[in-house]
Amino acid sequence: MLEDFENRVLPTKNKLFRFAFRLLGSSEEAKDVVQEVLIKVWNGRENLTAIQNIEAWCMRITKNLALDRLRARQRRATNPIEDGAEIRNETLTPHERTEIHEHMQRITEMIAALPEKQRQVIHLRDVEGYSYNEICEILELDMNQVKVNLFRARNAVREKFVKINAYGL
Amino acid sequence: MDSKQIHQLLERYWNCETSLEEERALREYFRGQVPENLDEVAGLFRYFESQQQKEISGLDFDGQVKQQIRQHRPKGKLINLAFALRIAAGLLVVMVATYFVRQEMRKSYPAEVADTYSDPQLALEETKKALMMLSKGFNKAEKEAGRLKVFNQAEQKIQGKVLDGETEDQI
Repeated sequence: MLEDFENRVLPTKNKLFRFAFRLLGSSEEAKDVVQEVLIKVWNGRENLTAIQNIEAWCMRITKNLALDRLRARQRRATNPIEDGAEIRNETLTPHERTEIHEHMQRITEMIAALPEKQRQVIHLRDVEGYSYNEICEILELDMNQVKVNLFRARNAVREKFVKINAYGL
Repeated sequence: MDSKQIHQLLERYWNCETSLEEERALREYFRGQVPENLDEVAGLFRYFESQQQKEISGLDFDGQVKQQIRQHRPKGKLINLAFALRIAAGLLVVMVATYFVRQEMRKSYPAEVADTYSDPQLALEETKKALMMLSKGFNKAEKEAGRLKVFNQAEQKIQGKVLDGETEDQI
């Protein structure tokens, strides 16, 4: 059983982490969420055989736990603007901070500024390369909602590019 | 891929019409040198790729998780056992309490409904005597009730007269 867990569940940890990080914007919290997810999956391991796509299943739990945290944080939040600033700063890896130009940072900010659902969908599709069916399963949305959100997310980015080019920023 | 193809593919990408395969091809293309007008878009695809390289940090994450898993397992069973014990203790208290209360009740109300006569003949006599006493009592009560009846009738007569008198007066 543990071996099965190590081979099928544990290797998803980085994907789970990136997704939780995309939602929470804090690597510490994202790490906590991943641990929580893995323990939850382990405790429900009897039902694991019935699940076809374990990775999508884990991603879905990650989404739910991360959103729970986000809601709890919003309830506690005294200053939402500061929260947003924290997200933007931390979404840069040290590598990006030193090497890559402001261009990269701008994209990071663009994605971070997207509405939650759009951010989820563009992450799953363009960063992780999931199929539309898998995204439906992870986000518990229907195909139409997934496509609409992806369309809006990509177009928000595109419009920003158009603006940047127009004003030469 | 020539620039025309790229532009077409990009247009389809913005419209969400590209397959995963085509999106991978775009990513591949933007890894290399691109014309200046595609710099921004190249940045976007490079950004996506760089994001996918991100890994969970921290020393021995797997080890930590496995340790937590090991700690978690017995804890769950222990909680269940404690829960069951608590219920069992509650039931035991109720049962013991019921037993003692019943004993107390027995002590304070000793059973009196025991046989008092061993000879059936004697028992019959006694029963007859008791029944006679009862019937005597009934008879006496009936007599008294008869007297009450007389009173009642008298009262009704008087009231009837009074009523008659009233009607006469009104006429």
